Amino acid sequence: MVAEPAQDQSVQELEDKQEWWWVAEKKRSKRLDYLRKSVWKKGALGGNYAPGIKLDLECATLFTDMWKFWKYDPIMMRRAKAIAHVLDNKTIFITDHSQLVGYFGSLPNTIMWRVDGASMVNEEAYNEPGIMPEPENESLQKVAELNDYWAGQTAVDKVARILDPEDAVKFLSGAIGWGAPSSAYGYSGKDYEYLFAGRRGFEDIIEEINAAVENAEDKTVGVPGPEILDIYDRLQNWDAMILVLEAGIRHARRYARLARTMAENMETDEKRREELLKIAETCERVPARAPRNLQESLQYDHFIQIFARTEAHEGAWPARPDYYHGPYYDKDVNVDKTLTKEEALDLVGEFMIRAYEVGGFAPRWAREGLQGITGTWVWTLGGVNKDGSDACNDLTVAFLQAARLVRVSNPTFGFRWHPKVKDEVLRECFECIRHGLGYPSMRNDPLLIQNAMHWHGHPLEEARTWVHQACMSPCPTTKHGVQPMRMASATANCAKMVEYALHNGYDHVVGMQMGPETGDAAKFHDFEELFQAWVKQMEWLTSLLVRTVNLGRYKDPEFFGRPFLSGMSERSVESGLDVVSPVGDRGNCWVTAFTWVENIDSLAAVKKLVFDDKKYTMEQLLSALKANWDGYEEMRLDFVNNAPKWGNDDDYVDDIMLRCLRETARHSRVMKCPSGNSWPILPENVSGNIHYASIVGALPNGRRCGDALYDGGISPGPGLDKKGPSAVLKSCGKIDHVSDGRAFLLNQRLSPTQLAGEKGYQLWKAYIRTWADLGLDHVQFNMVSDETLRAAQKDPEKYSEVIVRVAGYSAHFVDISRKTQDNIIQRTVQGI
Amino acid sequence: MSTCAECRSFFLREDEPGQGDCVRRVVDPRQAFYQSKPVREDNDASGCESFQKK
Ligand code: SF4
Repeated sequence: MVAEPAQDQSVQELEDKQEWWWVAEKKRSKRLDYLRKSVWKKGALGGNYAPGIKLDLECATLFTDMWKFWKYDPIMMRRAKAIAHVLDNKTIFITDHSQLVGYFGSLPNTIMWRVDGASMVNEEAYNEPGIMPEPENESLQKVAELNDYWAGQTAVDKVARILDPEDAVKFLSGAIGWGAPSSAYGYSGKDYEYLFAGRRGFEDIIEEINAAVENAEDKTVGVPGPEILDIYDRLQNWDAMILVLEAGIRHARRYARLARTMAENMETDEKRREELLKIAETCERVPARAPRNLQESLQYDHFIQIFARTEAHEGAWPARPDYYHGPYYDKDVNVDKTLTKEEALDLVGEFMIRAYEVGGFAPRWAREGLQGITGTWVWTLGGVNKDGSDACNDLTVAFLQAARLVRVSNPTFGFRWHPKVKDEVLRECFECIRHGLGYPSMRNDPLLIQNAMHWHGHPLEEARTWVHQACMSPCPTTKHGVQPMRMASATANCAKMVEYALHNGYDHVVGMQMGPETGDAAKFHDFEELFQAWVKQMEWLTSLLVRTVNLGRYKDPEFFGRPFLSGMSERSVESGLDVVSPVGDRGNCWVTAFTWVENIDSLAAVKKLVFDDKKYTMEQLLSALKANWDGYEEMRLDFVNNAPKWGNDDDYVDDIMLRCLRETARHSRVMKCPSGNSWPILPENVSGNIHYASIVGALPNGRRCGDALYDGGISPGPGLDKKGPSAVLKSCGKIDHVSDGRAFLLNQRLSPTQLAGEKGYQLWKAYIRTWADLGLDHVQFNMVSDETLRAAQKDPEKYSEVIVRVAGYSAHFVDISRKTQDNIIQRTVQGI
Repeated sequence: MSTCAECRSFFLREDEPGQGDCVRRVVDPRQAFYQSKPVREDNDASGCESFQKK
């Protein structure tokens, strides 16, 4: 439960004490306060679900019933019918005071279960304590029945069967990567240009599909030939899209009916009656037809997200809400004056809350890697229009203000900074950071547009539409640019590269030969031999993950099928192909590089202390590593304190960073995605640094197996950046943020005391200018003092609303494990 | 045998003969809401603990 703020303290007093969470409670409307506190938090606490959170059996059962019934249908049609059955029959609800509706589970406290995704996950669902709805025995029986039915025929089971057996075993070992090679668990971009810029509702899309069907049918009764043969499959796909779009319209009308029933039969308060009738009117309009005002636009967007998540467990939420909903805000607030700014802020705050409450059942590794949240909902704000002019608008400001009022940890924002951003907007970004939200992260827009063009050949106008596909990676929202399916399994636990280079490809933690045999490191004569071994391990590890994902993507239309998402895509509506099919997709892949900087500091330490200074031999080092540094403490401290570390503007180690990145970039161009495009790396971590702590063995940077890894991206190791923030920026600035990789995460901690008031803002603004001038693409800030964080560890209830930036996402501090909390406190507080 | 049609929570749909919604108020530990679930008017209500005669 959320603790109550001291009633006797004024906003000013709370602001002076920087207790921003109580400030938010005092400042927000009664509606937002109710809605914010009414959310059932689905993010796992450390790795466990909160009491009261229950597995959604209703949707899983409805889906499976219909799936069984239509067993002779092709996969797209079968899935469309199963989804339609869920949307037509599941329990829906309208929360008191709400103005926006739609949840993908059946009740507010349920987590959706993607029952057709992976048998392994289903087994975990069965064994997860505390999440079975009452009566527990009946629920367990139901889950067992569903698991029996789906065993061996989930999307991931099907991919696993055709993977190379050795690849499958190594991938499933959990040591080198995570995720599932299926769109059942992916990050799905949305073709917002088609939907919102094109002002289309579902009925408009159905009309376009019908025209395409008519055209195709003409061909099937025409001259016989090979070119008409695949039309038959496309016709089925089009029918599936129509079926599920119609179900979406009916589902919205169920809400309209409920709202009207409430207004006419239950509600006595006149103002609430009006609100309910407005909900009814909104849900009768969208998603059937294009929105006309802000409420309809936000509701339309939310329905799209809910339907997409009814179809697949989407792990991310690529969106650009200020850009696509901004015109409606302008019309309602500035032109027609049908909404006051305060009323609009209520809608915007609730829009964030509706996303915050979304959560599906995730396996333990995902919960540990994304502590406190249910997916990486990083919404994109700011940036430029297609013509290069500033795209920030009044809704950009409203989102930044609403974020400080509702203080949710998901969604967060990534702000596309560019030189034309107005001071008033930049101040709003700073206020969010100063209030300790940890977001928005700052993204260097001109540089990332260039990066998108460089790696994936997006034309300039297309690149300018980019949104965060997950935490970090920019992806356009256009017909050919949108990425329908990013599978998280191209996520590399990169610390294994140096570990395997040192152990001839053998993994002492999992006890098997993983990487190629690159030679006994004890016999290496110079650093070059070690480095070349590292290159081979890097090539092997990234190639294995990419092979797996490429296969998963290629086979997905056959093994899974996305009729709803296809109906949201101009490319699919036009072609009749499943949206996951790579045909016509420009390709926008990347390998997420977890635990990257450990490679750099480890290689630098070996180079310096073994090969240059000859203080230790390779035999001694390998013995120490095999002993997990046990009995070698003095030597370990030497490797920690007397070897150069990344982030101190020291060319000795920074040059190793550049060599590693450039070797990887070279290999990124060799590896191709199903569309024939490259696979650049993107160093970042979520909270994988904690998940992998006991999976990565001892390393030459002085880390023991079990110690938390670095917090990720290109952030220096916690406490190892001893030369101040300029040195960190200078080290990071040596990287070419266009050609060396897709994006590079940088965490920084700043002092809330130093950044108080106007002076604080000016300091931060100057820092951002330097950051941009040095050519960095990303930076995000924690601005909560050690004192507050330690107090929150002692008294979690009192500080339950303190938010921190973990990695590419934020979380409530009390929801992350003690180890992750300590890791955040250890990060150096930089004075700027 | 009582049926859903006789229950206070039952609301007949205008455009779908025989089909209706069971609309009920729920207060859980965090929030209050109205929920709706499709039911047919001739559903057997004898086993329903929430049945309330109109
Ligand atoms: S299901 Fe129960 S509560 Fe609902 S309408 Fe039927 S009898 Fe009433």
